[in-house]
Amino acid sequence: MKNNKIDHIISLSNDLRWQMGDEFHDSLAEGIYADAAEIVKASVHKKDEKGAFRIDARIDKIITSKVWGFPLMFLILAVVLWLTIVGANYPSAMLSGLLLDTIHPALKGMASSLGMAWWLDGFLIDGVYLAVAWVIAVMLPPMAIFFPLFTLLEDFGYLPRVAFNLDHLFKLSGAHGKQALTMSMGFGCNAAGIVATRIIDSPRERLIAIITNNFSLCNGRWPTQILIATIFVGALVPASFSGMLSLAAVIGIAVLGMVFMFLVSWGLSKTVLKGEVSTFNLELPPYRPPRFWKTIYTSIIDRTLIVLWRAIVFAAPAGAVIWLISNIYLGDVSVAAWLIDSLDGFGFLLGLNGVILVAYIVAIPANEIVIPTILMLTVLVTGLTAGSGAGVMFELDSVTATGDILRAGGWTLLTAINLMLFSLLHNPCSTTIYTIYKETKSVKWTVVASILPVIMGFVVTFLVAQIWRLLA
Amino acid sequence: MNTYNPITALAVFFALSILVYLLFRPNRGWFWLIKYNSASNDKIVVEDVLKLLYHNENADKHLNVNDIIRTLKYNDRLILDCINKMSDHELISIEGDAVKLKKTGIDYALRIVRAHRLWEKFLAEKTGFKEAEWHERAERMEHELSKVDTDILASKLGNPQFDPHGDPIPTNTGKIATVKGIPISKLSTGTIGRIVHIKDKPDIIYKQILAENIHIGSLIRIVEKTPTRIEFHSEGEAFVLAPIMAGNITVSVLEKDVVYEEDLARLSLLGENETAKIIGISKEIRGDSRRRLLDLGFVKGAEVKIDLLNPLGDPKAFLIKGTSIALRQNQASKILIKKD
Repeated sequence: MKNNKIDHIISLSNDLRWQMGDEFHDSLAEGIYADAAEIVKASVHKKDEKGAFRIDARIDKIITSKVWGFPLMFLILAVVLWLTIVGANYPSAMLSGLLLDTIHPALKGMASSLGMAWWLDGFLIDGVYLAVAWVIAVMLPPMAIFFPLFTLLEDFGYLPRVAFNLDHLFKLSGAHGKQALTMSMGFGCNAAGIVATRIIDSPRERLIAIITNNFSLCNGRWPTQILIATIFVGALVPASFSGMLSLAAVIGIAVLGMVFMFLVSWGLSKTVLKGEVSTFNLELPPYRPPRFWKTIYTSIIDRTLIVLWRAIVFAAPAGAVIWLISNIYLGDVSVAAWLIDSLDGFGFLLGLNGVILVAYIVAIPANEIVIPTILMLTVLVTGLTAGSGAGVMFELDSVTATGDILRAGGWTLLTAINLMLFSLLHNPCSTTIYTIYKETKSVKWTVVASILPVIMGFVVTFLVAQIWRLLA
Repeated sequence: MNTYNPITALAVFFALSILVYLLFRPNRGWFWLIKYNSASNDKIVVEDVLKLLYHNENADKHLNVNDIIRTLKYNDRLILDCINKMSDHELISIEGDAVKLKKTGIDYALRIVRAHRLWEKFLAEKTGFKEAEWHERAERMEHELSKVDTDILASKLGNPQFDPHGDPIPTNTGKIATVKGIPISKLSTGTIGRIVHIKDKPDIIYKQILAENIHIGSLIRIVEKTPTRIEFHSEGEAFVLAPIMAGNITVSVLEKDVVYEEDLARLSLLGENETAKIIGISKEIRGDSRRRLLDLGFVKGAEVKIDLLNPLGDPKAFLIKGTSIALRQNQASKILIKKD
């Protein structure tokens, strides 16, 4: 009897649905809006807001104009990046003076006065502490400058207009205009850029933005690019032009990153991602004066410190691994030397070398420690006297001295260019990989986002190396 | 170690790249061909024969064995074997040369049609695949969905009545709604009607119709008709079609008392200083996109005007309900307005 009733209700509901047709949701939304409009009319009294509205419209006219729109955008991006890179130098130098040059020796001194075993002291202080200190010194200042600036622009209402201006370009590659923002955020930190993709509400375009964010050169990679360009590319021309040329080379790499971002976005949207739902809409909020202190506070707490904490968590074990592979011996060679030797052939084929590949493997947790690791490993295999022992990362104050060590390690202009390319096109750091997983909740897309850039890096450096050798 | 020939390395690399391309290129890569062909078996052939017979019997055409062999792109032997098997299982009856569906055969065919059309509806509502791909994907999927899968799919989609092309979806009891309509090619000048169905076969014509930006649900008025061309107005634009294309678009003729408003237009045609009222969103905007637009306030009766033009031309920002919302050209062309 009871079953009969249920069946009856189900068949009745099916019949009713049949009669109601497909337009039910539309009518419902229309009804809700009609009711809302009536309530608004009865209860909300508007002041004459024409004045405020006109200022908005005037700003909009300039920002989205054919003449001023794009130059203004590039100018603002350039100023933000310049403030970040140049402005971060001073606090970075202070932090590294404190953490690396003062506290590190002090800790070593304390350890030896306590009579700590050499391996424990090396593992903890030269490995774990040094990696963490390095990441903090290099990463914290640029993020603490970049994110507040970026958040202020966002709060003011400028960034949605950038997305609006650029949307057509991104549409051509199957992406969303807001990807311009997440990409710029990636110039600060890819992990933060990936968190920022939450602003893209269309599933397909959001995945594209997540997977291609790594093509934005992040804060951890700018210093590498600048250092290598200064040593090898700048040296090609007379000293008075070398600054210009190395700057052009770094900008060239960043632009190349954008080109790859568009190409990969296009490829993804036409192949593996074409089945994902795609929608578009972009709200242009009214301008408002940024809430300065609130913005500074939230961007430092929400963005900078969270990302920094994740980076520290990943950098600590990396430091340990770097120290261990340089100090554990297989027969009479260290694990590091053995790894370098076995990867040297493959590295040479790519126009790189074993040291670089090993450095990129152990420095997956943070791009910041790639150069110190490369220097340490180069000294380890060449037997030069620099740095302070196996497994202790170091960096030199003098650019020329750094160049001398690298050249002694067999570096040529080709190695330098390919390192710059590989620094652009390699797997995201482990903080970013973890963030991708947190945001997509999908192992598949995390793997794609991690593996795809490395494969592209291998292919690009390989082709460059072969063509270089054919022409040279 | 460091002596090798870069040319050899490049040659090996390109050979590998070409191999990977041949294996995995979309649709015709060897990997996909092998994957799909190994899946083609008796079941698929039987179901395809049933579907073919069903569609033809619906159009009052009766096929013989030769017709079936000619139409389906399988091995002739395989088709013959399957037809014999089907006859043994009481799905079809063979009288002389003519092949006819039996009751069980019709039920089976309806289940396949149901799976096919539901899958098309699913692709339209819940995925981002392009319209031109729906049919082909559904052709593969219809053989993989069991009866239970189909019912679950139907209830997830809210038991829809029609697929995205306007074809009725049979219910799980085999009930099927009727589409009342006349192909555009048979309408006389001056007739007003609403597009209810666009045939998705043959592929070439369907893709041409899609390229013309003609949607289901649009009101049309026939303006001119000659043996070689048919012109009609719809949503502020004029369309000219060849009769073969017009024959694939079905229109339900509207009652006399419905007024056809010539000044209806698409939002994409709104000029910079004009205002308009929204009439509705085309059925071509589906699923999440449609819901989002409705939620943002693009509903019947809402006032709309252009807020901002883009330096690159697309998208444009529209002022709706006091908020500035940017929409792309292809979305704006699917929102219907009436200019003030």
